[in-house]
Amino acid sequence: MYITDLKSISPQKTYTDEFLKGELVAHEGIIFNVEEPDYMDLIPRGLLRRMGKAVRMGVGTGLPLIKNNSNIDGILMGTANGGLENCIDFLNQIVEYDEGMLTPTNFVQSTPNAIAGQLALMDQNRGYNTTYTNGGHAFENTLLDALLLFEEGNAEKLLIGGIEEISNYNYNIDFLADHYKEVAIGNFDLIDSLTSGSVCGEGSNMFIVEKNATEYYAKIHDVAQLTYPKESDIETCIDDILTKNSFTRSDIDTLMLGMNGDVDHNKWYNNVADRLFPTANTLVFKHLVGEYRTCTSFAVWMCSHVLNGETSFLDSIIKREIDRKKINKILIYNHFDEVNHSFILISN
Amino acid sequence: MEKVFVTGTGVVSALGIDVESNVAQLRKGESGIGQAKHFSSKYTSTLPFGEVDLSNEELIRRTNCAHEKGVSRTALLAYLSVDEAIQQAGLTASELQSLSTGIISSTTVGGMCHTDELYTDANLKAEPSEYVRSYGLGEHTLRLIKKFEIGGFSSTINTACSSSANAVMLGARLIKSGRLKRVIVGGSDAMAKFAVNGFNSLMILSQHPCKPFDKERDGLTLGEGAGYLVLEAESVCENKLRLAEVTGYGNANDAFHPSTTSDEAFGPRYAMQRALDVSKMNPSEIDYINAHGTGTVNNDETELFAFHEIFRKIPPFNSTKSYTGHTLAASGAIESIYSIMAMNNGELYPNLRCTSPLDTFGVPQILEYTSGVNIRHFMSNSFGFGGNCTSLIFSKV
Repeated sequence: MYITDLKSISPQKTYTDEFLKGELVAHEGIIFNVEEPDYMDLIPRGLLRRMGKAVRMGVGTGLPLIKNNSNIDGILMGTANGGLENCIDFLNQIVEYDEGMLTPTNFVQSTPNAIAGQLALMDQNRGYNTTYTNGGHAFENTLLDALLLFEEGNAEKLLIGGIEEISNYNYNIDFLADHYKEVAIGNFDLIDSLTSGSVCGEGSNMFIVEKNATEYYAKIHDVAQLTYPKESDIETCIDDILTKNSFTRSDIDTLMLGMNGDVDHNKWYNNVADRLFPTANTLVFKHLVGEYRTCTSFAVWMCSHVLNGETSFLDSIIKREIDRKKINKILIYNHFDEVNHSFILISN
Repeated sequence: MEKVFVTGTGVVSALGIDVESNVAQLRKGESGIGQAKHFSSKYTSTLPFGEVDLSNEELIRRTNCAHEKGVSRTALLAYLSVDEAIQQAGLTASELQSLSTGIISSTTVGGMCHTDELYTDANLKAEPSEYVRSYGLGEHTLRLIKKFEIGGFSSTINTACSSSANAVMLGARLIKSGRLKRVIVGGSDAMAKFAVNGFNSLMILSQHPCKPFDKERDGLTLGEGAGYLVLEAESVCENKLRLAEVTGYGNANDAFHPSTTSDEAFGPRYAMQRALDVSKMNPSEIDYINAHGTGTVNNDETELFAFHEIFRKIPPFNSTKSYTGHTLAASGAIESIYSIMAMNNGELYPNLRCTSPLDTFGVPQILEYTSGVNIRHFMSNSFGFGGNCTSLIFSKV
């Protein structure tokens, strides 16, 4: 399937074209917040006020794509947590007001399917509509479902995306669960960090994908995933996705790796980069946007632009340079917390 | 293309903790709705619930997981139900570990059913609780993968009350596409202050056990439970007992309002029509419908209108939520399993407490237990917040 349009809200200035012109936002700390647009041209003020951050970012990225692309056959979203801030605000009210009479806004806004639901409502889209919440595989699930829908002949064009918001609450919970570093770090030092834990990121990255296209940013061939794999499963899975799509290892000129600055996580990436693909360029992205469970949606966004010939930000993402002129076939390899591993095969 | 068969089922609900005990209650027309004993909320004194009558401690004992830390009630209910489904399908360890065996689960509250612990953890009020890694919606799926050593694809869906129906649909599609040979599909949701207060804030909880499709209905009753089905490709289950074939599925969005269905019932109608299209059936071939039937004024009226639009002559239907309460993400799977049992036993279970049935289009509601019925195909509906509507069609083997 082909990516024919895309939109991103991220901790970089990706919503406007500053990022593509090479302007980078430096982040220092453990939390990399998004550069949020003001949405004023897009969302009526009254509606905007009631939206939680995840829904707001989701509508902010999805609505321009809906407006620019007619006849969308369905909407597929991936979000591990949905509107967690609204969710915990509602929960706090439950506890603090001892289950008193509460207003439903936080509750309705907090359900993860509120984003795909809101976009369907705004587009009056009665097509296929679903929301994946499968932790570090939530966005990958949307890719697979889209591939299936095209294969089944039930769609020509779909809106898909990955969304995660940072709230104090999910930061606190994931901090207690040891996901983050204990001391602040600058984003350009992240990848080579020698301590455990990562930094907390967020964003909303959405795509129009089409079954057939003549003009496009990139082609997504396939997606594969593993949960709790053994090290040897990685090689098998990679060879399997390559073979199924008539690729060999030597066809892959570039790897996009999910390195997140957690020294304990690197062995997986190093194994793939050094042992399986020693002659491929390697790119990284999490120093720009932080770690979150659906951040492979940002990797796809960035790969789409690289494959479309954008070179302005290449210096900031290339880790091992073999031949920067030859970036045509990329394997995105990511894992979240060593549990959810995924592989996305994308080319120009 | 591979046909998709159901070879195992597991249910935990207010009616009992296995399929057999659930069906026994359905036959007797006995509801599981009543005063909650294990759930802690101030609403237990004023509202009825469809609670699974086992404490967390008892669930931990029955699922032999005392050695695991922080298993949420949602995961515990799922453990029990998945175990039953796997046993019935007779899946071996090597079949489960195969890359061609997947799991697609669903939940709306996940570990957030432990509301008080989540409150302290999210607000850093105390030392981390044992549930700190268990709140996420995908966490119970990871637990299932570990416990049952499931080797292949996994997914977790949250389309609110249609979640597990979408799990069935995705599972069937993955088998048809050749990507999987076997997949465990379903959902689990435990009673949660979060859901109770949420539905209460929308003023759609009835003070009394719900009365789906009754003129006097005034809201839904919340329940809890888990339902899972083992789906297998025809090529790998030729020699085993096949309980039903998954023949149709349709998904649509109502695109009207975050928490109510449009008067025209666009979403429900499109979901049902698409399911019929996939099954290549005429509406007249559907012999029974397990309705979404929450018991809210809005749902039952719009769903009935959608039945009329699709079927004209509406087949017998009921809402088994009158027995279990609304089990949210689990409801689509649980109700599909009840309907499979009804189909294979040739029986119809009465819609409870429907004393003055909605009669806009006649009275096709099932009002008493009937046996000797030939059900060739049935439809199961699940509609959720966010406009998410899904219909499934199963056929007799």
